[in-house]
Amino acid sequence: MKLLLAPAVVVLAVFAAALGALFRWSLLEFIPGSLRPGGLTLANFRSVLAPQYLDTVGETVLLSAATTVLTLVLSYPIAYALARTPSRRARSALLVLTLAPFFTGAIVRTYAWVLVLGNAVVTWPVPMLFTERGVLVGLVHFSMPSMILVLAAALSHIDPAYERAAASLGAPPARVFWRVTLPLSMPGIISGGLIVFAWTLSAFATPELLGGGKVKMIANVVKDLGLDSFNWPGAAAFAMLALALTLALLVGLGRLTAGRAA
Amino acid sequence: MARPVVELEGCTKDFGGVRAVDALDLAIFEGEFLSLLGPSGCGKTTTLNLIAGFVEPTAGRILIDGEDVTSRSAHLRGLGVVFQSYALFPHLSVFENVAFGLRERRVPAAEIRRRVGDALELVRLDRLGRQRPAELSGGMQQRVALARALVYRPRVVLLDEPLAALDKKLREGMREELRAIQRSVGITTVFVTHDQAEALGLSDRIAVMSHGRIEQLGAPREIYERPASRFVADFIGASTVLRGRALGRDLVALAPGLTIRVAAGEALRVGEEVEIAIRPERVRLASGPGEGAAEARVEGLIYQGSMTEVTARLADGQRVLVFVTEPAPMPLAPGQLVHLQLPPDAFMVLA
Amino acid sequence: MILRLIVLALAAFLTVPTAIVIAVSFNPGAILSFPPAGFSLRWYVNVLTYPQFQRAALNSVLVTAWAVALALPIGTLAALALERARLRGRNLWAAALLSPLVVPGVAAGLGFLILAASLGLLRSRSVLIAAHVALVLPFVVRSVWVSVRNLDPALERAAASLGATPWRTFRRVTLPLLRPGLFAGALFAVVVSVNEFVVSLFISNRVTEILPVAMFSYVVNYTDPTIAALSTLFILATFLVVWAADRYLGLGRVFLQH
Repeated sequence: MKLLLAPAVVVLAVFAAALGALFRWSLLEFIPGSLRPGGLTLANFRSVLAPQYLDTVGETVLLSAATTVLTLVLSYPIAYALARTPSRRARSALLVLTLAPFFTGAIVRTYAWVLVLGNAVVTWPVPMLFTERGVLVGLVHFSMPSMILVLAAALSHIDPAYERAAASLGAPPARVFWRVTLPLSMPGIISGGLIVFAWTLSAFATPELLGGGKVKMIANVVKDLGLDSFNWPGAAAFAMLALALTLALLVGLGRLTAGRAA
Repeated sequence: MARPVVELEGCTKDFGGVRAVDALDLAIFEGEFLSLLGPSGCGKTTTLNLIAGFVEPTAGRILIDGEDVTSRSAHLRGLGVVFQSYALFPHLSVFENVAFGLRERRVPAAEIRRRVGDALELVRLDRLGRQRPAELSGGMQQRVALARALVYRPRVVLLDEPLAALDKKLREGMREELRAIQRSVGITTVFVTHDQAEALGLSDRIAVMSHGRIEQLGAPREIYERPASRFVADFIGASTVLRGRALGRDLVALAPGLTIRVAAGEALRVGEEVEIAIRPERVRLASGPGEGAAEARVEGLIYQGSMTEVTARLADGQRVLVFVTEPAPMPLAPGQLVHLQLPPDAFMVLA
Repeated sequence: MILRLIVLALAAFLTVPTAIVIAVSFNPGAILSFPPAGFSLRWYVNVLTYPQFQRAALNSVLVTAWAVALALPIGTLAALALERARLRGRNLWAAALLSPLVVPGVAAGLGFLILAASLGLLRSRSVLIAAHVALVLPFVVRSVWVSVRNLDPALERAAASLGATPWRTFRRVTLPLLRPGLFAGALFAVVVSVNEFVVSLFISNRVTEILPVAMFSYVVNYTDPTIAALSTLFILATFLVVWAADRYLGLGRVFLQH
């Protein structure tokens, strides 16, 4: 029975090998003009700390944080409607609406924003395309479906009897939300938030297309170094950084959810 | 006559194509313990939800203390509700749960502490304030739910099958407590249940419901001893229902030669087809044929410990259910011929 | 009431960009404008006749077909093992199987690129397919595992008691009962693979690149509505797939509890 895992293990081994290669090369010296690396060195990681790159990391963290907060605020109403609406047709419609972007792929979704933010449709009072604002909009739009699903799942697990009880005790709808619904949905908020934050840290297509070279996040630096400058060691160091950040966040998420489940 | 505390006038509630409550009229008076009793689907919980304001009636009015509250939201009705699942807020302590309604009413902190303490003492849980609901047993949770609903002295307290989740022994104990608390506080209570023993034991009045309508409304004794319809007679306690034709003002013929004397209080109309019912505990086994005794053959026996349920078939084929608690005059076995004594005043004439 | 308005507004936010893409795709002129100045299908023609898109589409079909064909059986076996085998540290195994979901695309992409280079497989499609299998496997495992968990072992025991060999039991009882999970897993796998962009960007070249990568190259260089037309085709296909999945699988049940 355990042998059934073998084929999957092979696949995972290949994946691990890829990550292993990444790790190894992040520690090798970059020789400009050649694809062959030099000896072991920490220079790549040190270059991550260089001011312009540090700026990028800082910007990435800030953008991710802003994205997470905005996504949360905008997703909550839709998630609430999805979890609570009695009409099956409305729920189906909301679900299709929420899930469809998932399935249309990064390029299509980002391109849509290139159009909208690029003054082809509306003339914006402030420039949107190729600015941080524009990238933020794109990132939020991209993250909303995941957040909506996580929140909706959490909300649908809250017994409506609690909200009725609060109402019977004299709490108007706003207070019911504040004192009962919101606290009880906190686990969903935290997991959704961490998922969005972790994903956004490594976002690539959105800042690449909407940032137009002016807004760079960690993933864009990896591509620049790796595919444009052929500095694979340097790119690997950044990729490792993104990986480390993501893992740290998810370990944190795991600790939190395990703690609550216990 | 004092004004009723709660009135439902012609209330109807439709869910899609289903009529859950059908033109219901009900008046609930100050301080009384009223039970809504009936099988599942009879509309009792919907009626409760209408009073509480969780659902709006399709037609009709709801009045509290003479005021029309039909379109008023639940949180403005000032009632207390105990839910079947208790619905205690899992993220708040027992203290905070009970204090919830007081906080919504902006009661000052010191007074909250005092009143919550009193409420918890009333339900005998005074030292558990800090615990979370999940740490308490079912019986304790139930009492917290009660305390939470009573602490702000609502006009009426509504209980939706609050004892259904408890095991038998606990349920009986809680019944006593519930009644004692209700009497000491004197609060008007509406109690929903499908358990007739519960309703009979606790209530001042019972509304027996079926298909969204009230079949009979009255004191427990009246409901039990003078059921107004076949449904009520069947639902409350066990009974035997016999069909026959009235021969005289107090005589019913089940079959040629098989006549029963019935002293139900109302004279029967001669020639009319009637349904009469008798409680199985009122039927006695006579030692031999005699006045007022009907012959029957034993069909089934179910030993129940404190009594034996005997089914016996009369000459005309109708079956009679008998609860035999005393030693029988002859050994009971299927096929045995017995003589059933049917006291005329034990009969109920069904509409 | 207010909630309904807010939800409507947010739903609009989610969908308006898509609507605009669709509208622009019919724009007769090359300069992007809205509302469109007329109606034309020329960009659709352009999409369908552009050689790079044709090649990329073929590549997408090839890669996705291989990836799903490999991932489905591998994932099913893994799901069965996860649920049925007495594994010490089952949760760790589950985490490992789902781990590719967690790795940033650029990290996996660069890693696979370096690995391919070290193995001299830079021009080969096999690395691309291998990467897709790894990326798609978690979805398959997750979906099938749910089905396996809902499978009552008593059914298989009943089949055995009736004389069915393990293989026959698997074919006649287990596999049919796993169908919803397999279907959902295959669906997710196809969608994820077809839309996979970042990793594929790193490890493919002009010859092997799949459709999203080709689209990306185009968008970076040209600004005419061709991509709008291709996007519209994508969106149409997706909506059909999601609608069908909801109708026949009841996606609501997968994600929500009622």
